[in-house]
Amino acid sequence: MGLWEALLNWLRSLFFKQEMELSLIGLQNAGKTSLVNVVATGGYSEDMIPTVGFNMKKVTKGNVTIKLWDLGGQPRFRSMWERYCRAVSAIVYVVDAADHDNLSISRSELHDLLSKPSLSGIPLLMLGNKIDKPGALSKEALTEQMGLQSITDREVCCYMISCKNSTNIDSVIDWLIKHSKSKS
Amino acid sequence: MAQPLVKKDDDRDDEVEYSPFLGIEKGAVLQEARVFNDPQLDPRRCSQVITKLLYLLNQGETFTKVEATEVFFSVTKLFQAKDLGLRRMVYLIIKELSPSADEVIIVTSSLMKDMNSKTDMYRANAIRVLCRITDGTLLTQIERYLKQAIVDKNPVVASAALVSGIHLLQTNPEIVKRWSNEVQEAVQSRAALVQFHALALLHQIRQNDRLAVSKLVTSLTKGTVRSPLAQCLLIRYTSQVIRESSMNNQTGDRPFYDYLEACLRNKAEMVIFEAARAITELSGVTNRELTPAITVLQLFLSSSKPVLRFAAVRTLNKVAMTHPMAVTNCNIDMESLISDQNRSIATLAITTLLKTGNESSVDRLMKQITNFMSDIADEFKIVVVEAIRSLCLKFPLKYRSLMNFLSNILREEGGFDYKKAIVDSIVILIRDIPDAKENGLLHLCEFIEDCEFTYLSTQILHFLGIEGPKTSDPSKYIRYIYNRVILENATVRASAVSTLAKFGAMVDSLKPRIFVLLRRCLFDSDDEVRDRATLYLNMLEGDGAIVETDKDVKNFLFGSLDVPLVNLETSLKNYVSVPRELAVSLCIVQCLLAYSHVFVQYRFKNLQTSLLILILLPKEVKSLPLAEKKAPGKKPTGLGAAPTAPTSTVDAYEKLLSSIPEFSSFGKLFKSSAPVELTEAETEYAVNAVKHIFDRHVVTVIVDASDAEEFTEVSTKPLRSLPYDSPGQTFVVFEKPEGVPTVGKFSNMLKFIVKEVDPTTGEAEEDGVEDEYQLEDLEVVAADYVLNVGVSNFRNAWESMGPDFERVDEYGLGPRESLAEAVNTVIGLLGMQPCEGTEVVPNNSRSHTCLLSGVFMGNVKVLVRLSFGIDGPKEVAMKLAVRSEDESISDAIHEIVASG
Repeated sequence: MGLWEALLNWLRSLFFKQEMELSLIGLQNAGKTSLVNVVATGGYSEDMIPTVGFNMKKVTKGNVTIKLWDLGGQPRFRSMWERYCRAVSAIVYVVDAADHDNLSISRSELHDLLSKPSLSGIPLLMLGNKIDKPGALSKEALTEQMGLQSITDREVCCYMISCKNSTNIDSVIDWLIKHSKSKS
Repeated sequence: MAQPLVKKDDDRDDEVEYSPFLGIEKGAVLQEARVFNDPQLDPRRCSQVITKLLYLLNQGETFTKVEATEVFFSVTKLFQAKDLGLRRMVYLIIKELSPSADEVIIVTSSLMKDMNSKTDMYRANAIRVLCRITDGTLLTQIERYLKQAIVDKNPVVASAALVSGIHLLQTNPEIVKRWSNEVQEAVQSRAALVQFHALALLHQIRQNDRLAVSKLVTSLTKGTVRSPLAQCLLIRYTSQVIRESSMNNQTGDRPFYDYLEACLRNKAEMVIFEAARAITELSGVTNRELTPAITVLQLFLSSSKPVLRFAAVRTLNKVAMTHPMAVTNCNIDMESLISDQNRSIATLAITTLLKTGNESSVDRLMKQITNFMSDIADEFKIVVVEAIRSLCLKFPLKYRSLMNFLSNILREEGGFDYKKAIVDSIVILIRDIPDAKENGLLHLCEFIEDCEFTYLSTQILHFLGIEGPKTSDPSKYIRYIYNRVILENATVRASAVSTLAKFGAMVDSLKPRIFVLLRRCLFDSDDEVRDRATLYLNMLEGDGAIVETDKDVKNFLFGSLDVPLVNLETSLKNYVSVPRELAVSLCIVQCLLAYSHVFVQYRFKNLQTSLLILILLPKEVKSLPLAEKKAPGKKPTGLGAAPTAPTSTVDAYEKLLSSIPEFSSFGKLFKSSAPVELTEAETEYAVNAVKHIFDRHVVTVIVDASDAEEFTEVSTKPLRSLPYDSPGQTFVVFEKPEGVPTVGKFSNMLKFIVKEVDPTTGEAEEDGVEDEYQLEDLEVVAADYVLNVGVSNFRNAWESMGPDFERVDEYGLGPRESLAEAVNTVIGLLGMQPCEGTEVVPNNSRSHTCLLSGVFMGNVKVLVRLSFGIDGPKEVAMKLAVRSEDESISDAIHEIVASG
């Protein structure tokens, strides 16, 4: 039976193979690289080094191959986000929901980026990370603080996740897969 | 990484007609580069586009910052591809783009991932690229990985890390120095290339520490280095250590010579050759040391590999310059190389033979050279010319055939350097071999009839002007010279006019004819040519108005200007900047500088100015110190009177002094010292003193000459008024015994009356307050009586001076900071000019010889040879040898040192 299933999956992937490209952005220490690792391998590590530049990762989920551009969040790299967001299927913006101090910076960076004409119409997936931490914002509060209501020119979705506990990661992947289908 | 490049070159060589790069251009390729952004990458196509980009960059095409950045970011998208070949191209293009594109740092993280990848190719190349784009702060982050890579099992990875270390050492030395342990481990690697790179890096890390290099060489020469390339490096480092340590071991065997000799028996030819060359280049190499090296080189001479033959013969050629006898054993082998297919080998063989051969073989060799002279490159022709020149000087009797050879090759085609070498050789032969003069001059004349090089034409014309008139029949050169006036460009025409004038001045019988020719030159289209013709005509016609005597004419034409041109120019500019009754325009000054001093006289006589003093050079020499006083102003010092610019001091002071009637009788200023500050920099009154040395006199501000018995006060020239904040000068003259380098100390006092100035009228009030201001002492030292005049060839000057008045003595200078400090102190004490760059003491040297020259008061030339030695506790000893034209002066120099 298992063999049959595998063969079927393989055949399906041959005919229905889909690709999507995502850029992962957000301030430093928001958990972007951790998210990539969780999505790709399911593993989580507390000990991460800051991303200098970008990491490129290909993940296959079902019959969808996802290309992930995981960009560094330090100020010196923020000007380069736009280059890697052009023509992607969706922009994934990761926010540390427990870091109240940096929310306003995160918000202005996001709105700066979305105002670029080259990125108009690209769907935005907002992820509030680290909800395992005490004091993390609720989904409503995050939507409010990040000013998501004001974004009207594109599809916007928001999930609250925890990379550490793998909370809501499945829904994120589902959203992504669904989204790639709807695009193609 | 070099592979694609090599492949490309092959393509271009073999398939020129349909090269894939034919007709590609930047704009189109930049368009093509958009494929990098495609969601579905085509690795093959991307590789092709990168190849084109690399081709453009290597052809010297430049990308603007925007273009480079755009391409760079597109390229970064290619990191998603797994294709090995494409990734390799990505590395290459990032390295090429990294200097011109912005924000290349963005690939750091991806490269760090590659650096730890399982694929060796990724690891090695990622290291190389990463080191290219990284900066100091990021380097500390990746340092850990680099250290690991140095000791990586894969030699390609280790080499990449080591080579990156060599590059990074330039920018971040302190980080790379921390890798010593890993690098040392890599030196022991079994992979040849790793050993080579590790040794190079290890040496670079330690290169500034002589002891560490010596230790490194000592430990490695015991035989753990097996890679031939590394051994070659080690031989080079060894000879460096030998060079630096040879001073210490003057007795006994040379250190490490055994190692070099052992390398002569190495399996690798490369190592054998390197060792042989190192031995031949040892300083003061003995014949016994040289013999084994020459033997292996001789074997190379008959090798089947051209590169070995070339290397050997080239080295032997160098050895032949210093040790011709050692090379004679190889003569038979070299004879056979004359017919070698490779012309470079043949040339070197012949020139070596010329150096080692005897008089009887010269003719035969010359014939052989003539046969292939047209086949070789200019560079080697110059080697031949130089060999022939030294041969001719060695066998003057053979000058006829050698001179003919030189004139023949002079007629053939050739570049400037080659022709210059030939002309220089002929000039030297003419100078040194009297018999060759007429013959050689005619050859030169023929050459300038058809010479495309202005520089050579003018040089030959100048030389003709000096040598031509002394020949038996000067008239035969006139035709060649005058042809230049008709046929050549302005520069050559002008020097031809000068040459004609020289003939006119020296050969009376030719004078009328020269006048005719010079008058024709008056109608030349060029200003310079006309000016020169006018000047020479006026001079040669000798109506007494311009130049008094025939001797002056000759002095003008053949003598050199004994005033430094820079000084003359500056003083004339100073003169011009001050409004006088008659303004001298700058263009005249420039004209003056182009000619020599009699012409200056001529112009200034016409202008009737007092500047004549500047140029007249009477033999009298006098001495006088002068102090200039600055105004009671709050300004710090350094704003001395106008003529304090260092280069112009002598002339400017002379002008200043001579413009004061009281001092005009003292004659020519012998020397002016640099300004000595008599007050602290920040005081109310800033006073600088300048000592002017004449023969008999002294002038200062206000002087109490208690400590200087031999000086007698003659006259003072007080300053009448000194407005606020403006410099003024005052003089005190002292008389001293003529010709004696009297020394003494003056204590100075500034006495003055301060008067208030009415700000409305600008007039000073009647009454003032008398005031005194204590100044520091001014010393007249022996160095003030020595003029630092350099000689170009110290050895010649020393020999020609002769040992008649030589005085030699030894002095202990006591403990000193360093040898350099001791040398500088003695130079400062004597106030003489160091010659041939000997004032520079090499780092770490234990002994040093310094050559000094100068002119002592009374126009007596003095040459000094100082030999310094330093021992362990910084004790410096000095041997002082003086030669001069006067015994008493030689003694005086010793007295200066003994008392200083």
